[in-house]
Amino acid sequence: MERLGRILMVEDDSKDVELTLTALEDYNLANEVVVTRDGEEALDYLYCRGKFSTRSCDNPAVILLDLKLPKVDGLEVLKQVKSDENLKFIPVVVLTSSKEEKDLVTSYQLGVNAYVVKPVDFHQFVNAIKELGAFWAVINVPPPGSVNK
Amino acid sequence: MRLPSTESLPIRLAPEIWALYLCDNSANDKGGGKLMAQWNSRSHKFLPIIQRYGFAVVSIILALLPGLLLQHYKFHDVELPLLLFAIALTAWHAGVGPAVLSVALSSLCFDYFFAPPLFNFSITPADIPTILVLICFAVLIIRFSAIRHRIESQLLQARDNLQAEVVERTQQASLLNLTHDTIFVRDMSDVITYWNRGAEELYGWAPYEAIGKRSRDLLRTVFTTPSDDISAELLETGRWEGELRHGKADGTEVVVASRWSLRRNENNQPVAILETNNDITDRKRREEEIRSLNSELEKRSTDLEASNRELEAFAYSVSHDLRAPLRHMVGYAELLQKNSSATLDDKGSRYMRMILEAAKRMGNLIDDLLAFSRIGRVETQKTQVNLEHLVKEALSEVRQETNGRNIVWRIDTLPVCYGDRSMLKLVLVNLLSNAVKFTRPQPKAEIEVGCVDGNKDEVVVFVRDNGAGFDMKYVDKLFGVFQRLHHVDAFEGTGIGLATVQRIIHRHGGKVRAEGAVDQGATFYFSVPKI
Repeated sequence: MERLGRILMVEDDSKDVELTLTALEDYNLANEVVVTRDGEEALDYLYCRGKFSTRSCDNPAVILLDLKLPKVDGLEVLKQVKSDENLKFIPVVVLTSSKEEKDLVTSYQLGVNAYVVKPVDFHQFVNAIKELGAFWAVINVPPPGSVNK
Repeated sequence: MRLPSTESLPIRLAPEIWALYLCDNSANDKGGGKLMAQWNSRSHKFLPIIQRYGFAVVSIILALLPGLLLQHYKFHDVELPLLLFAIALTAWHAGVGPAVLSVALSSLCFDYFFAPPLFNFSITPADIPTILVLICFAVLIIRFSAIRHRIESQLLQARDNLQAEVVERTQQASLLNLTHDTIFVRDMSDVITYWNRGAEELYGWAPYEAIGKRSRDLLRTVFTTPSDDISAELLETGRWEGELRHGKADGTEVVVASRWSLRRNENNQPVAILETNNDITDRKRREEEIRSLNSELEKRSTDLEASNRELEAFAYSVSHDLRAPLRHMVGYAELLQKNSSATLDDKGSRYMRMILEAAKRMGNLIDDLLAFSRIGRVETQKTQVNLEHLVKEALSEVRQETNGRNIVWRIDTLPVCYGDRSMLKLVLVNLLSNAVKFTRPQPKAEIEVGCVDGNKDEVVVFVRDNGAGFDMKYVDKLFGVFQRLHHVDAFEGTGIGLATVQRIIHRHGGKVRAEGAVDQGATFYFSVPKI
């Protein structure tokens, strides 16, 4: 891998975090994954504030965003990211358990780049994560200002 | 319900009704009738001419005889008043001609019998004043008589007119009793003075029971507006209309649409109130029923909306929260299987497989259940749907389940129908995949999709297979949620497919049914609207 983008994962469920990281590890994609556990933390990371105030202010190559989150929910994060001049180019992939059409429609209206329903089947889940990671962190050329490994 | 035109009638006709009411009362006035009869009996009729002149002669003779008699007994100066009386009588009763005759006769008689020289017709200047007195008297009496005749004939005329009017109005007055409307009149102290048949029928009191009573006491009137306001409006405009509650003779209550109009006398003083009432108890009751039904409906619809929202929240929660732990179960189990396959014995591997299978099945159940609930929640988007194209699309979706199978497909020509394309496709996918699934034991499966000649409004499509079939005694269970007629081991499935089919078809206003026999195959029919 010549270029590997940084992945910002926003996921409140520790088991989902672990399983996702496990899946990404298979592709050696796990090293550059930043995990935030709620919407507020994710926004703190993106705006380099709070505990992330010291980080170098580069944008991640992709955001893997769960919808159901404590404090600030995923759709709200998506809305803020897509309405911010500096953040709106970051590809956002919604990764959720919800198959609800309402969520799907709202996400696309807010400008999401991809919408993935987490499959129950682990093989499918692993494959989905791998493909996502590979595409967005490796194949896709991220917008300028993104962190490369 | 009364027509508006007839409802407005009492108001428009109020003056006429007043007239009717008044003459109805005068018709009952027996005293007035007697007076008329007396007038009639005293009516003056001119006597025939001979009788009239005869009357003059006879009256003079009758005056003359007592005059002569009295003169004989030396009573003097009685004759002139007697003659004057005779002349007056004649002038009064017999008219001008006989009066002239009686004056002439009186003059002659006076001259002959009483004026000196007696028994001689020679007229002396001394007689002239007496004759003049007689003539003047006669003229005076004739004059009075003429005036009397004129007045009498005027009175007769007036009486005839009045009589004719009374007859006419008595006929009209009986009309008041014919109307179904309740009409009664009360004076300004609220005492009932008139009570028509409609009032008797509505309230149950006969006129003799009601007339003379205070209407508020009799009818136990309950006002919906303050009675002071009513009085004010009545005095100002002469009218009032509104709703009242009245008690009937049998103790029950009646709601009436009431219209009042005020009668004033010639001095513009209010004298009576005419009240016209229509029974609207039934209408009020129905209105009340409709109102309560409406509020009930509103409440139900609110409840329904609330439970719909709950259902949506529930479905969301199921799809999100229930799937997550399931995914974790599967994920960790797979990781365990992958990482520890070396240390797991056959039994352990089997248990692991069972856990994974169960979890997968649960995932399918949740997905199917959500899809099923979504059918009820989403709006149908109906268009013209080419069923033949749809069957081909559905077939391509189930094709992957048919790998390595010997299946003979027979797809007949299918018409166009009207419905929600994606939902109808789900129906076909479910039915076709069922057919594929239940023909699995057959070495040569035959699946047919066709169309039955339905009526002109609907299309009846069937899917027939030669698979496992079912016992017709369980046919009622086929379309129920989670109802299965086979073991999961024999034919996998969640028991939601046919329930989904039925729900979709019902949402289209169609019907589903099935025919089959054990190991003889099954046929599923559904109908959808043509247009």
